[in-house]
Amino acid sequence: MKAKIQVVLCKCCTEVPALLDIEKLRKLASESNNVLSVRTADAMCDGKELAAVVDEAKAKEIDRAVVLACHKKDISPGLLKAYKRARVNEFLVDVVNIREEVVLTHVNEPERAQAKAEAKLKAALARSVLLSPLEKQTEEMKTKNVVIVGAGVSGQAAAHEAAKAGAHTVLLEKTGKSLKVPGVILTHAQLLGASGYGGNFQLRIKAGEKIEELGAAAVVIATGGGWTTLKAPLAKAVKDALPLYKFYEQMQTGVAPRGPVVIVDTPDPSGKTMKVQDYAWDDSLETAIDLKKKSPDIQVYVVFQEMRASGLSELAYKQAADMGVKFVRYDKSGMPKVDPKNPTVLSVRDFAQGEILNLKFGTLVFASIPPNQDNKVIADALRIPMSVDGGIRRGSIQRWPVSTPKPGIFVCGSALFPKSRAVAKEEGAAAGAMAGEFVRRGVIDYGGVVAQVTQEKCSACLTCIRTCPYEAPFIGTASKAEIKIQACQGCGMCVGICPSKAIELHNHTDDQIMEESRVLLGGDF
Amino acid sequence: MAERKPKIVGFCCERHGMDAAVLSARSGKQTDASVRLVQVPCTGRVDGIHLLKAFEDGADAVFVLGCLEKNCYYDTGSIEGRKRVNYVKQMLTEVGIENERLEMFNAASTNAWAYPEIVSKMVQVAKKLGPIGGGEKQ
Repeated sequence: MKAKIQVVLCKCCTEVPALLDIEKLRKLASESNNVLSVRTADAMCDGKELAAVVDEAKAKEIDRAVVLACHKKDISPGLLKAYKRARVNEFLVDVVNIREEVVLTHVNEPERAQAKAEAKLKAALARSVLLSPLEKQTEEMKTKNVVIVGAGVSGQAAAHEAAKAGAHTVLLEKTGKSLKVPGVILTHAQLLGASGYGGNFQLRIKAGEKIEELGAAAVVIATGGGWTTLKAPLAKAVKDALPLYKFYEQMQTGVAPRGPVVIVDTPDPSGKTMKVQDYAWDDSLETAIDLKKKSPDIQVYVVFQEMRASGLSELAYKQAADMGVKFVRYDKSGMPKVDPKNPTVLSVRDFAQGEILNLKFGTLVFASIPPNQDNKVIADALRIPMSVDGGIRRGSIQRWPVSTPKPGIFVCGSALFPKSRAVAKEEGAAAGAMAGEFVRRGVIDYGGVVAQVTQEKCSACLTCIRTCPYEAPFIGTASKAEIKIQACQGCGMCVGICPSKAIELHNHTDDQIMEESRVLLGGDF
Repeated sequence: MAERKPKIVGFCCERHGMDAAVLSARSGKQTDASVRLVQVPCTGRVDGIHLLKAFEDGADAVFVLGCLEKNCYYDTGSIEGRKRVNYVKQMLTEVGIENERLEMFNAASTNAWAYPEIVSKMVQVAKKLGPIGGGEKQ
């Protein structure tokens, strides 16, 4: 069947019509093969113009469209909807960005810009013919369960938020503590294994002595920090050292600490990954000030590698200094050390003076917490990546600060890296809200641009299975690789790496990509 | 005779790579027009054949632009892309083509400065080395 293409030239911005000869582009488009209709639109995202464009598409029975406009992400979603009404598949509408890629970057070279725009149009037309229509599918989520691993500060906050969105929350708590949170609490519980994909997970949970299977739509990891399993050198030397939050709690109950108090940023200063996170600065300043207020006679030292007192914390820094808290900065040349035989003196080289200071202390407090040892078990169970310093690794930081790379699994609080209670609570709420929102959709959208295996070519080498970060490929019953399209995100990594060239990504096939670069290289500019 | 215009192909991932290019355009940065951008879903999708075919079709230089390796939209995509590029670089050396003609870059979507730098670097390479095989038709 011959392709019937409609070309739309948008001139809603001032730059494109000013630099390019739209009439020439229009002529070029109308003279090309397979093009049945060429329209120029003054503002394509405008409803009326769009309606006129689509009416013509309907009348001429157009089945694919090439739109020359601006960045795809800036174009109104109304465009696809309108074309849908004209029975044009949404994956056959190709948006070519001539505004940013051609016009804005080559303002001083109109001839080259014109030639480039023409080449782009030709390439898009060549590519458009090769595209195939795709359908999106949906699958119902079997449960509304949001399983929250860990019932600490962040876990509880997550439960509250997820419950607000109408999810059934199930909290897994390692200890036997009782809590007042919405949902079911399984005490002495552990996550052992998981299968499935975002929306329909099947979890294996050990609760008490029993091992249970539990369906879940989303998982929130809120394991917190791992104070209990501390094995760092400073903590080994000083047996009765305290984490900051415990010290703070003791202080609130009215127990006066044994002075002098030394607050060190991390229990493992010589460790490979020295992390001084927000937990260290904000809360240690607050604690030092509180301590000085309660008992002004106690000498307080804050030993740190890097003090990040930003924003209003700067005032706390100043206040603490005014109250007589001593700040000692160190660097890698003079790490804080405690002789295990004499666990009352901390020796550290002051970075500012260059001298070794021997600080006699009664209480040693660590402001940073090491990662939880359970993270490894949970990451293995859910098969998600870990960060280099033993936390759970999140996905793209700018886009999903509380999500793991795997859809449907969220992470918050100190499971990522040590942080203060207030921040952990906020993050928990965010992760809970994300999980709740995920569950509220009720269906999983999948399909569209996904990978597909040509079974005859597959040699079952497992390369795709090892490469995919989403566990979409698996070896099916025919001993050949198959793609679980519910899990496929459409990145095409398996396609690029497949040694047998057995996998292809819909609408990003080798032919399409090479054809586009070939036509673009044919242009003279 | 006018100066020969180099031909450069850039494979951009549609996430951070393309966003960085678009942002640099919006910040009013001017770049050499000889770059042809081809959008791919992820740099992990880029196959050796795409890069080699681009050279065969007349490109003087080819670059691949993906997300930062620790902040890739598809988690490990730009790492896979770099592996692929390094592999093809090796192939180019074996067939006697300067492997500087192919390069992998990473940029975050907010790095407006990154794209013009990449383009000027590749244009420099293309101008320095000239067409593949000294310009005679193959």
